[in-house]
Amino acid sequence: MTETLVRETVAEPPDRAAPPRRKRREDPGRGWRLYLPLGLYLLFTLVPFYWMLVFAFRPTGSTALVPWPITFEHFDTVWNDLGFGLFFRNSLLIGVGTLGVVSVLALAGGYALARFRFRGQRVFLLALLCTQFIPGAMMLIPLFVIFKGAGLLNSLTGLVVADTAFQLPLALILMSGFVRNVPVELEEAAMVDGCTRLRAFFAITLPQLRPALVAVGSFAFIGAWNNFLFALMFASRQDKFTLPVGLSYALGEFNTDFGALAAGGVVAAVPVVLVFAVVQRFLVQGLSAGAVKG
Amino acid sequence: MRIRGALAVALSLGLVLTGCSDAGGGGGNATITFWDNNGGPGRTPIYEELIKRFEAANPTIKVEYVGVPSASVQQKYDTAIAGGSTPDVGGVTTSYLANMIGQDALEPLDERVDSGPLKGKLLPNLVETVRQTAPDNKLYSLPSSGNLDVIWYRKDWFEQAGLTPPTTWDELVDRATKLTDVGRNRYGYTIRGGAGSVFQLLTEAYAYSGVEKFFDGTTSTVKDPANAELIGKVAALYKKATPEADVNNNYTQMVAQFTGGSVAMMHHNLGSYSDVTKALGTDEVGAITLPVGPSGRKTVVPNPTDGFAVFKNSKNPDAAWKFAEFLVSRESNSYWNEKVGQIPANTDVRSEAWIEKNQPVKMALGVLEDKATRIVPAPVYLPEYSSITKTDSEPAYQKVLLGQLSPQEFLTGLADKLTTAQQEWEERK
Repeated sequence: MTETLVRETVAEPPDRAAPPRRKRREDPGRGWRLYLPLGLYLLFTLVPFYWMLVFAFRPTGSTALVPWPITFEHFDTVWNDLGFGLFFRNSLLIGVGTLGVVSVLALAGGYALARFRFRGQRVFLLALLCTQFIPGAMMLIPLFVIFKGAGLLNSLTGLVVADTAFQLPLALILMSGFVRNVPVELEEAAMVDGCTRLRAFFAITLPQLRPALVAVGSFAFIGAWNNFLFALMFASRQDKFTLPVGLSYALGEFNTDFGALAAGGVVAAVPVVLVFAVVQRFLVQGLSAGAVKG
Repeated sequence: MRIRGALAVALSLGLVLTGCSDAGGGGGNATITFWDNNGGPGRTPIYEELIKRFEAANPTIKVEYVGVPSASVQQKYDTAIAGGSTPDVGGVTTSYLANMIGQDALEPLDERVDSGPLKGKLLPNLVETVRQTAPDNKLYSLPSSGNLDVIWYRKDWFEQAGLTPPTTWDELVDRATKLTDVGRNRYGYTIRGGAGSVFQLLTEAYAYSGVEKFFDGTTSTVKDPANAELIGKVAALYKKATPEADVNNNYTQMVAQFTGGSVAMMHHNLGSYSDVTKALGTDEVGAITLPVGPSGRKTVVPNPTDGFAVFKNSKNPDAAWKFAEFLVSRESNSYWNEKVGQIPANTDVRSEAWIEKNQPVKMALGVLEDKATRIVPAPVYLPEYSSITKTDSEPAYQKVLLGQLSPQEFLTGLADKLTTAQQEWEERK
C-alpha cells in the first residue's frame, strides 16, 4: 500500500508534465501531416524559381541541372540588347507613380467612404466592385481613344493614369475597411481638444493606417510593375516600354530565347521580392487589420 | 509638421510624374514610324543597322523604330487601327494581313512596285501568297522574306546509326522508330500536339497526299483520304517514337526538346535556324524538305510570308514607301535574310555567296523555284481561319493523338468548317 503510494507519488510529477509530450507520442504522423503538404507546396512554388535561375545562369545549350559554369551572357543580352536598363527605369517610374497616386487617392476616398454617409454611397461601392469584373482587354479600345484625345499616348504619365484607374477601385474598398477599424472616437477626442478634422486625421488616424497604406501601396506597385497590356498598347515608342514588354521580346515568332527570358525574369522579380521582404511585416498587419473587429 | 510631410510626398510624386513626361520629337524633314512585328534581340539590332544605312542615304527622313513582341502584334495593330494611331510602315505577315486589309488600313502597293526598281525582282510565289490575302488581289504588303517548313534532323545521330535522311513519309516513320531509345531518353521524332499544331499538320498532310489545291471549287480538300492516311501514320508514332508530353507541345517545347538533345527529327520551319544551330552547331544539324508521299509530287503549303505594309493614315506615305523599298532592295534584303536565315524575296539576292553556304536556305529556295513544286496556299484570308484551325481543331487533333477520334472524322469536321467559311467568303466578295 505504502509502496504503491510512493510509486504513485514519485510518478506524479512526470505525469503532470507529460500531457504535451504524451500527446506528441500518440500522434507520430503529426509532423508528416504538417510538413509534407507544406513541403509539396513549397516545391510547387519554388521549382519555377529554380528553373528560372538555372536558365538564367547556365550557358545556352547546356542541360545541366545546376548552373555551372555560371554565365552572365543572358543578363548582358537583356540589359544591353533588349534595353532592360531603360525598361527598368520606366517600370520603376510607373510603379512608384501609381503607388503614390493610388495611395493618396485611396486614403482620401477610403476615409470619405468610411466616415461619411452620402446619397448613392452603396451604389458607388457596388460600382467600384463591378469594375473589378471587367477585364482590361475589354476596355482597351475605348481607353485608347480617350487617351489619344487627352494626349496621354506614348507617355509614362498616361500609363500611370491607366494603372491608377485600374488599381484604385480595389484600393478604395480596402482602405475604407481599414479606416472603419480605426475608432472614430479617437478623432472625436482630438477634435474636442481643438484639432480640425484634417489635423485629427493626420495626427491620429494616419499613423494607425500605416500597415494599410503599405498593403494598398504594395498592391498598386505590383499591379503597375507587372502590367503588360497597357504598357504595350498605350505606348508606341521604344523608349516608353516597360519590363513586361521587354520580357516578351524573348518570345519570338519562330524562336524563344529561354536564357534571356529567365534572366529578364530575374531582373523583373528581384525588386518585387526585395520590396516584399522589406514591407512583409506591415503587409501582414495590414491584411489582417480588418479580420477581427475590436 | 505632418501636413508638411504630406506636402513633401505630394511634391516628390509631382517630380516623379514630371520625370515621366514626354520628350520632344526628333529632327529631320520627315519622321516616319516603323513597327517591327517580331521585335527582339535577334532582329532589332539588324533593323537598327538597316535604319542607320537608310538614314545615311536619305538624310531628310528619320525612322523611329518600335519593336512589337510577335505574340501581341495583331492586337497592337487592331487597337491602333481602331484608334486611328497606326504607324507609317509596319512589318506584317500574311497570317493577319487579310484582317488589316478588311479594316481598310493599308495602301495597295502595286503601282509603286511597278514604277520602281523592284519591278520583276520579287519571288513570284511569295507575291502570289500576298495577293491571295486580298479580295481585290492587290498587293498590300511588299514581301521581304519567305519561310518554308522543313524537317530538322541530327546529322550525328543518323551517321552513328548508319541511316540516311528520309525522303518519303514511310522512311520518316522508319527512321523515327529506329532512332528511338526510351532508356536513353532519345526519341526519333517530336509531334506538335499543342498550340499551332493544325497548321503544321496540314503542311504534312498535303506534302504526303500531293493534293494540289486547298479547295475544289468551294469545297475543302482537307478531308482527302490520303491526308487522313498521313495523319494516321503520324499519330501512330505518338508515344512509340515521340515523348508522351508531345500531345501538349507548342513550337517552343519542340525546339527545346530538339536543342536539348532528346529528339532526332523535328518538323518546324526555317525560323528555327538560329536556335538549332546556336545550340547544336551547324555540323550536327541538317534540314530536309518535308518528305513526299506515294504520289511523289512535291506539294508545299507555304508558311506566312513576311513583308512591309504602308498605312493609309501615314502623313508621309512617300517616305514610308521609300523605307519599305529600301528594306527589300538587294543589299538590305540580302543582309536581313542572311542574318535571320530565311528566303530572300528579292530574286537578285540568289546570286549572293552566303546562299551557297547556307544549306537550309539554299534547299528551301530550290524547292520554291522548282517548277515541279506545287504551292497550295492555306486560306489565311478567311476571317475564321484562325479560329477554325486553332480553337476548334487543335483539341480535336489531341483526341486523334490519344486515340479518341479517327483521323478521317477529324479531317471531315475541319473540312466542313473550312468549306462553309470559303462559301461565305465567296458570297461576300
